[in-house]
Amino acid sequence: MLGLIEIVVLPLMGSVTIMAFGGLMPKRLPGIWASLVVFASFLASIAADVRLGHLSAAHRMITGTLGAWVTGFGPAIGWRLTLDPLSAVWLLVITGIGFLIHVYSNGYMHGDSGEARYFSYLNFFIFAMLLLVLAGNLLILLIGWALVGLASYFLIGFWYERTSAVLAAKKAFVMNTVGDVGVLVGLALLYLRYHTVAYPGLFHAFASAVPGQPFFEWTAFLLYIGAMAKSAQFPLHMWLADAMEGPTPVSALIHAATMVTAGVYLMTRLFPLLRLAPVTHEMIGVIGAFTAIFAASIAFFQQDIKRVLAYSTLSQLGYMFLGVGVGAYTAAVFHFVTHAFFKALLFLAAGSVIHALAGEQDLSRMGGLAKKLPVTMWTFLAGTLAIAGFPPFSGYFSKEALLGAAFNSGHYGLWLIGVITAGMTAFYMFRLFFLTFFGSPRDQALYQHAHEAPLVMTIPVAILAVLAVAGGALGGGLDRWLAPVFAQYPGAAHAALAAGPIWSTVLTVGLAVVGMGAAYWIYLRRGLAPTAGTETAPGRWMRQAWGLDAAWTLVAVEPSKILGDAFRKMERGVLFAVDGVATGIWAWAEDLRPLQTGQVRRYALSIMVGLFAILAYYLVRGRVIG
Amino acid sequence: MVLVWLLAVPLLGAAAVLAVPNRSAKAWAATGGLVELALFVLLWVSARHGVNWPWIAAWGIRFQLGADGLSLLMLGLTAVVFAAVLISSDAGAGRVYYFWLLLLEFASIGLFSALDLFLFYIFWEVLLIPVFFLLTGWGGEGGRSAAMRWLVMNLVGSLFMLVGIIAVGVLHSQLTGHLTFGIAQLAGTAWAPAVAPLLFLAFFLAFAIKAPLWPLHGWMPEAYGRAPAPVTALLSGVLSKAGIYGFLRVMVPLFLPELRAYQTPLLILAAAGLVAGGLLALRQQDMKMVAAYGSLSHMGMMALGVFSLTRAGVLGATFYMVAHGLMVGGLFLVLGLLENRAGTRAIAAMKGLNRSAPRLAAYFLFFVLGSLGLPGLPGFAGEYMIIQGLVAHDVVIAVIAGAVLVLAAWYMLRAFQATMQGPVGNVAIPDLLARQVAWLLPLAAVVTVLGVWPSTLTLPAAPSLYHAIHLLAAKG
Repeated sequence: MLGLIEIVVLPLMGSVTIMAFGGLMPKRLPGIWASLVVFASFLASIAADVRLGHLSAAHRMITGTLGAWVTGFGPAIGWRLTLDPLSAVWLLVITGIGFLIHVYSNGYMHGDSGEARYFSYLNFFIFAMLLLVLAGNLLILLIGWALVGLASYFLIGFWYERTSAVLAAKKAFVMNTVGDVGVLVGLALLYLRYHTVAYPGLFHAFASAVPGQPFFEWTAFLLYIGAMAKSAQFPLHMWLADAMEGPTPVSALIHAATMVTAGVYLMTRLFPLLRLAPVTHEMIGVIGAFTAIFAASIAFFQQDIKRVLAYSTLSQLGYMFLGVGVGAYTAAVFHFVTHAFFKALLFLAAGSVIHALAGEQDLSRMGGLAKKLPVTMWTFLAGTLAIAGFPPFSGYFSKEALLGAAFNSGHYGLWLIGVITAGMTAFYMFRLFFLTFFGSPRDQALYQHAHEAPLVMTIPVAILAVLAVAGGALGGGLDRWLAPVFAQYPGAAHAALAAGPIWSTVLTVGLAVVGMGAAYWIYLRRGLAPTAGTETAPGRWMRQAWGLDAAWTLVAVEPSKILGDAFRKMERGVLFAVDGVATGIWAWAEDLRPLQTGQVRRYALSIMVGLFAILAYYLVRGRVIG
Repeated sequence: MVLVWLLAVPLLGAAAVLAVPNRSAKAWAATGGLVELALFVLLWVSARHGVNWPWIAAWGIRFQLGADGLSLLMLGLTAVVFAAVLISSDAGAGRVYYFWLLLLEFASIGLFSALDLFLFYIFWEVLLIPVFFLLTGWGGEGGRSAAMRWLVMNLVGSLFMLVGIIAVGVLHSQLTGHLTFGIAQLAGTAWAPAVAPLLFLAFFLAFAIKAPLWPLHGWMPEAYGRAPAPVTALLSGVLSKAGIYGFLRVMVPLFLPELRAYQTPLLILAAAGLVAGGLLALRQQDMKMVAAYGSLSHMGMMALGVFSLTRAGVLGATFYMVAHGLMVGGLFLVLGLLENRAGTRAIAAMKGLNRSAPRLAAYFLFFVLGSLGLPGLPGFAGEYMIIQGLVAHDVVIAVIAGAVLVLAAWYMLRAFQATMQGPVGNVAIPDLLARQVAWLLPLAAVVTVLGVWPSTLTLPAAPSLYHAIHLLAAKG
């Protein structure tokens, strides 16, 4: 237990101290303090993981309870923290990448009037995310789950004087509440049947249950809604693109590397439940694959550098859920790790570009920046090659593992979608890369003033670039590290990494090369503008994300408003009736005027005086007699 | 005897403020509120002996007070919210204002500790009067008509209840041969099938109007709207709980078979109110009314917990009463501070105020997040327990209750963002003063502790919580 609390509490302490005293601190201190706190948490995480590794494989779990969270209606639900190999992986990524992004933020946010507030929020996010993955039961997980949503709300709306940022923050919060409710009702159902929401208790019970009962399908589905909202799976995905209103390091940390993968964590964590809910399990894979290809199509025509990356995140999350859906849990976790490396890298590199261009995010005003920003260009290239799945970059290995598992398990349709999406990914990522760094500058004024970022920003980016290039080497170790988790309960027979047929690999990589070539041909050789094709009907459709925002407005937002107005009309009717009675009494009182004063306040006063008199009289008398 | 002192101090305080000059009335009243709070702490740690004196012997009425788990929580809520309200009220309001506030506290304390139905009724009626005068005297223009609605609707409800109380006493004496109004003695009586629905309805109406439960909330919009912010904080923070408390204290022991028989329609009614309140809150243009209708929606949530007739649901409703009382009380007080500064309550007239008043915005956001049920704050714990109770009965109702949480996030954030965020307008307001933070911070701290460790309340309260829970436990 000791060792886990510190990991969680350190960032919380950082957040609270900066919130309370940030105004008094010298300028640079909040950022340095926040980074140090996360670094300490990172060291504590390593220590805890080492300790975990020394335990025998069958009992590889550190757990403890800090008293009851709630009790009184059944077995208590405790403040329970648990570390096992699965949460250990998340722990290292959250604190490790989190630390790098904190360091980077010291440069990126320097000079912003809300710098202290920013670091306070960022530390709060790390705290909430650590609570989420270290939670030992579903209820504590839900608290972390909602608090990361709150941190995300704070940071999306960080520049709160921008209307678009404020609206995006609200949208993200409300859509995530849909997910929170799914988790809430799901865990209530589980508690009802099993009188516990702690993982081991539930999983023991699941081990002997018969798959396919409606109860399991429903609970799994409700919990999946939570994952869907948090990880922006179709159709609860729209908030993620709007979330790009937040500062770019936030997009890297929360909306790419860590928080949005919480859904993958939850589903992987609950693999014994997915065994019992085959229909929901299958659906997770299908929606994941659909999200992957759907988001990739939207990314084709985006004009904003961050929006392209946002849709690529959606698409990659789709891959991870595809992996969960076909039971390739280790591959999903592996892809989470490599994605955290290369996507954090891409966002931070994009942040350096935006920083260099004084906040400009529009592709149509970039171009030719390779000369001005060589370090950023090379690191961005590393990230692009990784996400596009070129060997031997990290993304290649994890994507191959996912597609191989899909193929081996007989999900040929999902496999095919994954392969096609790989080609599309290479296209839109290289489109982004070429439009940003090559060709001729489309805005001379911005180009002239562009400058490479300071070291405090480029060093974290460089470290991430190394990880994005070489991260694929972690696969084997990850496989061995996670094996005890998946061996413990039935339901993860195909969790281990396994290669697909060699021709599948050749096909995937081949399509990626074609995608890259197409991007090269269209945007560099023929030199088409970034806006090319967006005015055609399909282009417009894709750029506007298939019109889903409008659809949500139509089915959810507007009906709520109309119903609300209907209730208001109805309420006026009720009030009319009440006033009728009141007027009647008033008129009656007027009739009695000769006898009384006709003032209600006099009546009220006399009622009270009378009541008191009776009360006092009997109180005294009662005492005397009694 | 601590309990008797708890009842006596506000009454003595009320008498005292009438005797002091206007300018020191607030100091006296606030001191009274703090003494009351200290007495409550003493009650919490002491043996909590009640009193049971004979009173009107001929009618079998006794002066019986007690503080079991349920009462204790409500007394604590009363003491805390009243202390905050007395401290935060305007010093220039005059001694009569403080007189009525303290009298209201006296009535609330009495109501939440009375164990004899007749005594309960007397406090129930006394409660109406201070509110009536606070609305007419300090409700500004339109306060008078708000007061009328309040009085008419509540008197209708309590008249039914009076008939009901006399009827249950008489019927019970016919069955057993002795006349009593003790709730514990009346509990579990099997009422004749012909009168049971009428008795049930008589009590139900009184409690549902007081809460209020939709669609019996006719008095609410104007009363909440007209009352000065501290009084609104009391109406929604403390007095609204009287209705839910009545369900738990009176109806569950006396009418458990009837509650079971009508459970489905009751759940539907409560769920409809939950949804209606949320949708109405979404369409308000006045920030105080957003909170008012949000509160109406939350009353439906509490009623759902009671009507689930499960231990989790009832415990959740009880916990939620305290949580909601503290948070909505805090919310209305903050809105009052905002209204004083901005001179308006119209959402459209304010924007970007966070820039000039960041501390005010932070507390506003805190209570908004609490009200929308953010996990980690106590509203969530109450909602969780209520939903835990509901899934045992009906998953569909549980899902509806959950869906309203999404609605709550929407309307609450809408009100916050529209006033505090967005482009800075040409209005700037002064930020919170140190003396205002001095009572807001402790309130927020109490709320946070309850959210992080709801078991601080559920643990001591639950085992001996109250008769109702034992009844439910016995029936499974």
